[in-house]
Amino acid sequence: MTPSLGRLAVVMLRIGNFTFGGGAAAVAALQREMVSRLHWLNESQFSLSYALSRVTPGTNQLAFCTAAGWLLRRWRGALIAVLAASIPSCLITWAVTVGFDVVNRYSMMRIAISGAMAASVGILLASFWLIVGPHITRKSWIRSSVIVAATIGLSLFAEVTPVLVLGVAAVAGFFWNEPT
Amino acid sequence: MNFLLLYLLFLKASMSSFSGLAALPIIREDLVVKRHLLTDRDLNTAVVIGRTTPGPKGLYIISVGQYAGGFAGATAAWLAIVTPSLLVIPLLEFAGRRADHPKVKQVLRAVVLASAGISLSATLPLAADALRGWLSYAIAVAALIILLVTEVDTLWVIFGAGLLAVVAHSLGAPGSM
Repeated sequence: MTPSLGRLAVVMLRIGNFTFGGGAAAVAALQREMVSRLHWLNESQFSLSYALSRVTPGTNQLAFCTAAGWLLRRWRGALIAVLAASIPSCLITWAVTVGFDVVNRYSMMRIAISGAMAASVGILLASFWLIVGPHITRKSWIRSSVIVAATIGLSLFAEVTPVLVLGVAAVAGFFWNEPT
Repeated sequence: MNFLLLYLLFLKASMSSFSGLAALPIIREDLVVKRHLLTDRDLNTAVVIGRTTPGPKGLYIISVGQYAGGFAGATAAWLAIVTPSLLVIPLLEFAGRRADHPKVKQVLRAVVLASAGISLSATLPLAADALRGWLSYAIAVAALIILLVTEVDTLWVIFGAGLLAVVAHSLGAPGSM
């Protein structure tokens, strides 16, 4: 299903700009919205956009939005998506910077943000399962589990950079054939 | 400071990083150490602002732009974070045409799984920072369950969590935020 540019802009604007917890949480929310709820993208289109946005320099979330917009409506979709996903949150950040001392005095605002940050942990965990779950099949669970576990080990304990981890995963993925 | 130069400095930082705060050392070197356009305190404040506003963590660069060159600086920073994202299009075209090849498929699947693993690793420091007191744990678990078993819009989950935290605090619930 191909959305209008207006609907694409609304989704990017809503999810891309108002999700706390960084780009991973926003991409998780976008996956749920665009794949599970609206069926704009199928799983393989999402996987392609997600994988490539991780190896694109800069902000992964904006690269993902650009990729999703491109798949849905080519150039116009890509531009609308990246503008809608970036302008409002950038304006909020700019406004908070200008009025930082004022905002910092409102304790209720800080408390509301704390609540949103706690929800982001749940969003990130749900996202992890929504992405990994489909790859845990009877045939492929060993390969998938080893890749995920190795990635976590390299990131958390060996402090290897994300790009290098992705590179290692790509090489492993190339040589370790999926069971047929 | 010259808008174009500021844009190029931010673009250099943005292009040489692949996640959140990875560009921070380059920004510090260029803007704090070499050009004295902002202080370490400004940079720290920018990072704090980037963490407390919605959107990607990398948006602290907008605050840096504001400190370095006012609204024009913030605009240069915005352009610098948007520009690299367009690079995904040629990648998409290249990989998309080969997406049905079994080798490409299995490489992409491995990268997707690794990306999920990296995101989970990044969740742990966020969880350590965000989960303090029973209410924050309850909110995180409730968000997880709601997102996995219902079709409720994520935005409502986020707003609901913020509202719940404020109400609990206002009622003086023990262990609230």
